[in-house]
Amino acid sequence: MNPEPSTNDGCMQPLIQVENLVKRYAKRSLSGQREEKLALDGVTFSVSPGTTLAVVGESGSGKSTLALCLACLERATSGSIWLNGENIVQLSEEERRKVRPQIQLIFQDPASSLNPRWNALEIVTEPFVLQGKWKREEMVQRAHSLLEQVSLSPEFYTRLPLELSGGQRQRLAIARALALEPKLLILDEALSALDCSVQGQIGNLLLELQSSLGMTYIFITHNLAMAAHLADTVAVMNRGRIVDLGPSETVWKHSECHTTRQLLAATPGLKRSLPTGLER
Amino acid sequence: MSGERTLAWWLVFLGMLHGTVVFAGFFAPYDPAEQDRQNPYAPPMRLHLVDTEGHLHMRPFVYALKLREGAFDQFEDDTAHAYPLSVFVRGSRYRLVGLLPSRLHLFGVEGTRFYVFGSDAYGRDQFSRLLFGGQVSLLAGLLGAGLSLLLGLGIGTLAGYYSGWKDEVLMRIAELFLALPWLYLLFGLRAFLPLAVSPLETFFLIIAIIGAVGWARPARLVRAIVLSAKERDFVRAARGFGASDLYLMRRHILPETKSVLLTQLAILVPQYVLAEMTLSFLGLGIPEPVPSWGNLLSNLQQYSVLVSYWWMYLPALAIVPFFLGYLGLASLLRERRDGCKIERAGQGSVT
Amino acid sequence: MRYVLRRTAHVLFLLIGVSILAFLFSTLAPGNYFDEMRLNPQIAPETVVALRSQYGLDRPLPWRYASWLNSVVRGQMGFSFAYNSAVAPLLLPRAGNTLLLTITATLLAWGIALPLGVCSAEQLGRVPDRLISWATAALLVIPDLALALGLLVLAVKTGWFPAGGLASVGFESLSLIHKIRDLALHMTLPVVALVLSVLPLLVRHVRAAVADVLDAPFILAARGHGIPRRTLLYRYALRAAANPLISLFGFSLGVLLSGSLLIEVVMSWPGLGPLLLEAILARDLYLVLGGVLLSGLFLAGGNFLADILLYWVDPRIRTEGHAQ
Repeated sequence: MNPEPSTNDGCMQPLIQVENLVKRYAKRSLSGQREEKLALDGVTFSVSPGTTLAVVGESGSGKSTLALCLACLERATSGSIWLNGENIVQLSEEERRKVRPQIQLIFQDPASSLNPRWNALEIVTEPFVLQGKWKREEMVQRAHSLLEQVSLSPEFYTRLPLELSGGQRQRLAIARALALEPKLLILDEALSALDCSVQGQIGNLLLELQSSLGMTYIFITHNLAMAAHLADTVAVMNRGRIVDLGPSETVWKHSECHTTRQLLAATPGLKRSLPTGLER
Repeated sequence: MSGERTLAWWLVFLGMLHGTVVFAGFFAPYDPAEQDRQNPYAPPMRLHLVDTEGHLHMRPFVYALKLREGAFDQFEDDTAHAYPLSVFVRGSRYRLVGLLPSRLHLFGVEGTRFYVFGSDAYGRDQFSRLLFGGQVSLLAGLLGAGLSLLLGLGIGTLAGYYSGWKDEVLMRIAELFLALPWLYLLFGLRAFLPLAVSPLETFFLIIAIIGAVGWARPARLVRAIVLSAKERDFVRAARGFGASDLYLMRRHILPETKSVLLTQLAILVPQYVLAEMTLSFLGLGIPEPVPSWGNLLSNLQQYSVLVSYWWMYLPALAIVPFFLGYLGLASLLRERRDGCKIERAGQGSVT
Repeated sequence: MRYVLRRTAHVLFLLIGVSILAFLFSTLAPGNYFDEMRLNPQIAPETVVALRSQYGLDRPLPWRYASWLNSVVRGQMGFSFAYNSAVAPLLLPRAGNTLLLTITATLLAWGIALPLGVCSAEQLGRVPDRLISWATAALLVIPDLALALGLLVLAVKTGWFPAGGLASVGFESLSLIHKIRDLALHMTLPVVALVLSVLPLLVRHVRAAVADVLDAPFILAARGHGIPRRTLLYRYALRAAANPLISLFGFSLGVLLSGSLLIEVVMSWPGLGPLLLEAILARDLYLVLGGVLLSGLFLAGGNFLADILLYWVDPRIRTEGHAQ
C-alpha cells in the first residue's frame, strides 16, 4: 500500500507539492477536557498544472481538512506545501494573506458560501474590492465578464442568493473564485448538493474553464463516478492518510488497495451512475 | 407586509411620545422651576364647559383655586370668575431642543395658574415638571443603553472573534458583572462616586454607571453571534481573497449583530429609565431643582404626602406608555428576526 | 459529588472575583473617600486612627484587601464608621429579613407562574392564553416603583394592611399565633409587590419553554399512549423544559433580589435595602461593601441550588458528568 510520491508526465514541474502534511485539532469538550483529533496524518502528493486530481474517501477521512490547509485557511501542524517554491505552511500570517488568492476554494453548500444579504454583483466584485487595485468601473467590468464566463445572464446580477437556484449559486461561487485568477481551484464536494442534471452542467462548465484558462483542479468528492470521469489522477484517503494514489485508470481498474476496493464495491455499476450530460 | 406596517405604526406611536417630551417647552404651560408659593400642593384643576349657573361657554375654562374655609391645605374652586383656556399662547421663555429660543406654548390660561396635574410643595406645575423631567430620564435611559450596547458590542466581538484566553478572561469578567443583582451592583458603583455634585455632572455620572453595569448580557449575545458567523463559509471565502480581520468583522460579521442589538436597545431603554428613576427617587440620582421622573416621586417617601396629595403619584405612571411602546417594539423585532431565521434556514440547508 | 464540588468552587471564585472588583473600584473612584470621612463630624478621630491601624487605610490596596478578607474570615466583615461596630452583626439580622421576603416571594411567584405558564402553553392562541398574555403585558408595563407606591397608597386608604415595617408595636407581648399573623400581615404588601413585579417575566418564559417542549414528537407519542393530561403536562413536559426553566430561576432570583432592595426601602421593611441606602449616604465603605457582597452571595447561593436541582432532574447533565 505504498503510495507513489507523484505522478506526472515527467516534463512539467508540479504546481503544488504536499509533503507529510499533519493537522491536529485540539478541542475543548463541554466538560473542559482537551481532546485531540488527528485530521491529517502525513499526507504526500503533488499536482501538475492543468490537470485534475480527485481526492476520494468517506466522511471523516480528512478531505475537507486537506482542502482548508491547501487554501491557507487553516495552518497545518507540520509538514510542507510547496507552491511557487515557497513552503506556505511556514509563512507568516501577512504573507499567507497574500498567497491565499492563488488557491481558491469552492464549498459544498453554495448558499452558505455566499453572503445572503449581498446580491450577485456585489458578491463577485468583493475579491476586487479587497485587493483594492482597480477603479470602480473596471471592477464592475471585470465582474460582468466573469459572470458571462459562467453563463449567468445580466438579469441575475441584482438577485440575492436565495433568489437563485442551486446551480446558479454554484456558478456564482465559481465566478467569484476566478476573480483573482487563481492557479489552483479546490472543489470541496462542490457538485454533491446539486441535482443530477445540474451536476452535469456545472461539471461541463468546469471542464471548459479548465481548457480555456488552463486551470488546475483538486476535486474532493465521495462520488466515485464523477471522480472517475473528471480526474486525471486519483488519491484515496482513509483516516487522514492517502492510501492509494495514481492515474485514474490504474486506480479504478487495477488497484490492490483495500479501501479503494471497498469504495468501488459500494458504487454499483460505475457507468450507470454517471451524471447525465457529462462528457469528456 | 402587515408586519412592516405594524412596526411603522408602533414607531410612530413611540415617536409621538418622544416628541411631546423633546418639545417639552412647547407642550408645557409653565417653566418647571417657576414657583407659586400661594398654591402649594394644589390639586389638578378641571376644565369645565358649563358654569355653575348652567351657561355653556364657547371655550373650556377653569376656576381659580381658593383655600377652603378652616383648612390650610385644602383647595376648592373659586366659582366667582371663569378663566378661559387659550391655545398657542405666549408664555415663559424656553429653548426649543435647547437651541432655538421661543415663547410659544401649546396652551395656557390668562389670569390664574392652570395646574393640569396639580402642584408640588413650592407651587411648581407638576405637568410641566413631568414633561421636562421626561427629557432627563429618557435621555439618561437612551444614552445609558447606548453605552451598554457599545461596550457589549466591542467586548463581545473581541471575545467571539479572537477566541482563546482573551475570550475566557472577558467572559469571566462578564460573569462577575452578572453575579450581583443589578440594583445592588448599581448602588455599589454609585456608593463610591461623589454624592454632592452638580446636576449636570450627576447626569453624566448616572449614565456612565448605568451603562457600565449592563454590558455583560449584550456582550454574551454578540459573542454568540460572532462565534457562529465566524465559521460561516462566506467568511472563509472572503478570507480566501485576502480579507483582513478588520474587514471581516466590519463587512460580514457585524451586520449579523444588527438585529440583536436593535432588540436589545428596545428592551434596555425602559429598564435604564427605570434605573435612573430608582436612583433619583432615593436621592442618589439627579438632584433638585432639575426635575426627573424619579425625583418628582421622591417626596412620596413622606407618609403625609403619600396620603394627602394623590396627584404626586402621577409621574410614576408617566413611564407606562413608553414601556408599552418599547416593549411592543421589542417583541415585534424579535418576531421579525425569528421569522427571518426560519426562512433562511429553509432555503440554504442541504443534506 | 464531583459536580457539587465544581459548582462550589465556581461560587467561591465568583465571590472572590466580585469582592476584588468591588475593592478595586472603591479605590479607583474619583474623590478622596477617606478624606471625606475625616471631615465627617460623625466619625470620631480616634475611630479614624483605629481604622488606619486595623485596616491600613493608607496602605496599598492589596494590604487593605487582605486585611478585609481576614476580617471576613473572622466573622466581622470590616468596620462600620457610622454605627461604630463590626459590619457583620449589623448586616446579618437585616439579611435574614431580606431572605424571608425574597424566598417567600420566589416560592409564591413560581407557584403562580408555573400553572399559568403551563396553561397558557397548552392553550396556545386560544382564549385562556390570550387573557393571560394580556394580563401579563399589562403588569409588565407598570414599573415596580409605581406598583410599590400604589400598594402603599392602597394600604393607607383601606387600613387593611400596615403601611410598612416588620412588626407592630407591642409585638413581643403577642402570643405565637398572633405573632405569626402580625408578621404575615406586615409581609403581605411587600411580597405582593415583589411577586407582581416578577410575575410577567416568569409567566412569559415558562409559557415559551413549555410551548417549545409541547411541540416535540415525544409528547405526541406519550399522548398516543393515553397518558392523562395533567401527568403529561407536569411530569413529562415540565421535566423536559427543566433546563431553560432552571436558568430562568437563577435569573428571576437576581430580579427578585434587586426588586427587594427598592421595595424594602419604599415599604420600610427592615432588610438589606434600607441599610445599604443609609450606608451609601453616610459614606460607610465597609458596610456598603458587605451589603453588596452579601447580595451576591445570596444570588450565587440561589444559582447553586438551581444547578443542583438541575443535576437531579436532568439525566443528561448527570451522564455528561459521569462521562469524564
